[in-house]
Amino acid sequence: MTGSQLGFSEIKCGYGDTQIIHGISGRVNAGETLGVFGRNGVGKTTLARTLVGEIPLSAGAVSLRNDDIGKQLPYERRRMGLSYMPQTGLVFDNLTVRENLSLANSSLSPETYFEIFPRLGERLDQPAGSMSGGERKILSFVRVMLEEAQVIVLDEPSEGVQPENIECMQQCILARQSLGCSFILIEQNLSMLMTLSSTLLGLESGRVVFESERNTCDRSDLLSVLSL
Amino acid sequence: MVSIAGLSAALLVTLLLVPELFGDFAAYQTGLFLIYAIAGQGIGYLWGRTGVLPLGQAAFFGISAYASAHVLLSIQSIYLQIACFCLIVLTAGLLAFLLAGTVFKGRSDSGPYFSLITLALAMIAEQIAGTATDLTGGFNGLSGFAPIAGLDQFGNLYYLVVIAVVLSTLALLTLERLPAGLVARSIADNEPRLLLFGFKTHWIKGAAFALSATLAAVAGILFANHQGIVTPTSSGFLLSANLVIWTAVGGRNHVLGPVIGAVGIGYLSSELRDSVAYWEVILALVFILVVLKVPGGIAEIVTGIFQRFYSFTSHTVSKSVLVPPSWQGKPAQSLSFTGSRVRAGSVTVLNGVELVTPKQGVVCIIGPNGAGKTSLLNVITGGLRLVEGELHYGGQKIHNRPPYAAVKSGIARKLQVPSVFSSMTVSENLAIAMLAGRAGFTDFFKPSTLRWRSQRLSDLLATPGIPLLDGIHHRVSELPQGHRQFLELAMTTASAPGLLLLDEPCAGLSPAETRHMTDVISQFHEANGGLILLIEHDMSIVRALADHVIVMHQGAVLAEGSFDEIRANEAVKSVYAGGTK
Amino acid sequence: MATLLILNILWQVSVLAIVTIGLAVVFGQLRIMNMAHGELVMIGAYAPVMTSLLGLPGYANIVVCLVTVGLIALLMERLVIRHFYGRAFDSLLATWGLSILLRETVELIFGRGYQSVPQYVPGTFSISGTDYPLYRLVVMAGIIPIFAGLYIWYRKSKIGVEIKAMVENPSLAQACGINTSRLSAGCFIFGALTAGVAGLLLAPTIRVEPMMGLDYLIRSFFSLVIGGLGSFEGLFIGVGIIAGAQSTLGALFNQTYGYLFILILSIVFLWLRPDGIYRRS
Repeated sequence: MTGSQLGFSEIKCGYGDTQIIHGISGRVNAGETLGVFGRNGVGKTTLARTLVGEIPLSAGAVSLRNDDIGKQLPYERRRMGLSYMPQTGLVFDNLTVRENLSLANSSLSPETYFEIFPRLGERLDQPAGSMSGGERKILSFVRVMLEEAQVIVLDEPSEGVQPENIECMQQCILARQSLGCSFILIEQNLSMLMTLSSTLLGLESGRVVFESERNTCDRSDLLSVLSL
Repeated sequence: MVSIAGLSAALLVTLLLVPELFGDFAAYQTGLFLIYAIAGQGIGYLWGRTGVLPLGQAAFFGISAYASAHVLLSIQSIYLQIACFCLIVLTAGLLAFLLAGTVFKGRSDSGPYFSLITLALAMIAEQIAGTATDLTGGFNGLSGFAPIAGLDQFGNLYYLVVIAVVLSTLALLTLERLPAGLVARSIADNEPRLLLFGFKTHWIKGAAFALSATLAAVAGILFANHQGIVTPTSSGFLLSANLVIWTAVGGRNHVLGPVIGAVGIGYLSSELRDSVAYWEVILALVFILVVLKVPGGIAEIVTGIFQRFYSFTSHTVSKSVLVPPSWQGKPAQSLSFTGSRVRAGSVTVLNGVELVTPKQGVVCIIGPNGAGKTSLLNVITGGLRLVEGELHYGGQKIHNRPPYAAVKSGIARKLQVPSVFSSMTVSENLAIAMLAGRAGFTDFFKPSTLRWRSQRLSDLLATPGIPLLDGIHHRVSELPQGHRQFLELAMTTASAPGLLLLDEPCAGLSPAETRHMTDVISQFHEANGGLILLIEHDMSIVRALADHVIVMHQGAVLAEGSFDEIRANEAVKSVYAGGTK
Repeated sequence: MATLLILNILWQVSVLAIVTIGLAVVFGQLRIMNMAHGELVMIGAYAPVMTSLLGLPGYANIVVCLVTVGLIALLMERLVIRHFYGRAFDSLLATWGLSILLRETVELIFGRGYQSVPQYVPGTFSISGTDYPLYRLVVMAGIIPIFAGLYIWYRKSKIGVEIKAMVENPSLAQACGINTSRLSAGCFIFGALTAGVAGLLLAPTIRVEPMMGLDYLIRSFFSLVIGGLGSFEGLFIGVGIIAGAQSTLGALFNQTYGYLFILILSIVFLWLRPDGIYRRS
């Protein structure tokens, strides 16, 4: 898997006795995005949580650059350069916006993001829980973008976010890509997937049923996977 | 029904055999443990079902015991004595009902605080019992009275205790199978959802606490009769603690758990306390292990073993019963906001909303994140208070009401993040939803109410593409987020509301699922009529559904009109372009 | 007489503050309702007894105290407590069990009777004509810089934010790179050690016995309830009210009135203002 930033091969996992992921492989190179899509309940979030270490692997391997990280704890993976924006429970409601962002532990300044998403800058001392669903998505997104990571896993960042801000998110992601950062993007928003991904991975019942380079497939291919 | 009768009969026979097999002294000891078990059953019900842990049950136990002692000391007539005992039990229940109802009113997060309040009450009771010598006899307590009706505390009084235990077991087992029991269980799971279904949850918790206090009072009365002496230790911290420990070790989720716990630990303690020096240490270790490894206690282990041999989960699909008409199905009215202002801390969330909706049709609310869309719905269902301005629904003023009042006006709400009862099965979720706006007081005590299902709900479940029927006996926690969207929609439409509030119902759904969702919403609207307020970002959904569009920006209404008018509006274009998935 | 009353109130407030600071971390921050907190105070108070049994010199008291309480706290956290973060009720039950365990174990080793611990700093000091034990004055003067230091450190470091984040959403905290298991263990052990030190400081002024913990637990618990969780300001307000009211009413009437007053006040707060007096925005 040389050259790939994050790679995973034949991973299997699940909750308790129920196996949800039945052997999935994939990789993402530096500066690229791996788009993951599929209907509800096919295991997308489970895959994300396994990659970042919240769910233990029952088989297979995960590697970050040349290191095997299959046994590392989530916080260790974060410190090794793997960031994660979860689908739910994505900000600390009781902490202020400023405190949420401070947890990125970053030397980067959030100012550029406040220009793109001015609401955050205006509400630095409000508890995150007082913000709307879409604003919390943005806050979580900005926190993850501030983290100095090589690979970022995003689980449905656009859900509940207004179209303009989705566009802004895409610009932020492209900017980080050009600096060599890789993304794993789980999305229902097909246009966002098509805009950002270099490779697309379609899941069904915990297995890969579709794998293609971005430039050799179109929206209708994705839709046909979703209507399986 | 067989299991209730079977279990109670088995308990009765076992307990009746004790004096025959082990003699009168063993029966006398068992009697005391059974008395504690009755109080434990009350704790178990409240804690295991509604999630509220009472830490001061000894207060009810002790006060009733003292009162009974006075009754037995000063009243001779057996009928008067019985009347007084009934009065004691009723008073305990009523006080508990009022106490819990008042403490829980207006807030759904006071569980731990309530536990500490009960603890403090028990400590007060113990202090008073120890110092108010005239009333309680101080540290020596009250003594020198004989049990009621000339019963022998070392003999036939035991059978009275057995009857009491069997009756309370029978009552609790029956309650668990009634709709009232299901509602009590759902409180621990998701109280905000229950409030939106129109249940006054503080009084439900009050009723559950009253039940547990009643059982504690019954136990206290039996205790006075059985022991012939009442001292401050029967009302304080230590007894409260022990009752909870016995309940926890025996099992709080099963009616017989506290019986197993109280009798089991009581026996072992009396046998081993003197012979094994570190018995208390062993007991503490066992208790820690139970809390750590088997939160359901011994009862959980036992039922686990049973279930290995017999499968209880048969899920025989009983025939559903057609429901009475919903009194929620009132004709829709027009919503009108006038100068409505909401503040959260220093931030103004709604900044003078002026809005009059049509009486009918699907109204879509769009706007940038943080424009105040969800807050608008929160004002309607009472989650947020207006600091200025008004909100009327038809002729009625409806702002600043408690959340449970919305149902009365025919308003139902689906939340942004699906809010369902995740520890329960899909069918139990639907059963609770069917109660909303339909069930009268007596319906909560009829088993048939649990099988209510409206024709429209059956049709919705049978619609192709709706992913609920396959997993109807699965726990909701096993469902993916998207399926919960469908479940919550089914639950909120079940009461046939005149005004339906939907907050991003298509969030997290794939394009195909989104189509199913919009189809279901329009079908509901065709059949039910009324007004639907729907928050959405996806313009293709808005185009498909909206009769009327409202654009919000910075806490106020920026524009409204038909879909095409909004698309053409320059002011809207400058803040919100919209797009599709 | 007035001087003596004021000094006594100050002493009670100081002592309760030291006992409560640990519970404020464990209950206020970690949300573990640690019913064994009083037993940790009690074990700290037994440290001088252990030291003399071991034949060690008096200044080893502090080492014995820290090592014993630290080891017990480490075991408690690793084996029991860490399964209960975020589960207030279950933590209450488990620590209840732990409190019985610790109490009974101490009773098995040292017996049920009172132990008397010799005064560390004998002598009295005269303040406006009132002779007051020198030791108490030293302790009262000593805790001020310690609390000030803790306050500044807590304000400056990010640990407060990290703890709050961990308690609210442990898995997200991990995803933010926080080593939650080390942070929580650290907090718990810190809380336990302060309880132990409180016991050590109290030892020469009270009767040391296995049951002594319960009273301290209840008073510090209700201090937090009244003052409000999660801030130094709230802690001192709560401790001031509880210790002040109890010693004043105790001196004017009798102990029972003081005790009843605390209980009734706590109920009122739990009911009407469960966040306590000092509520953060």
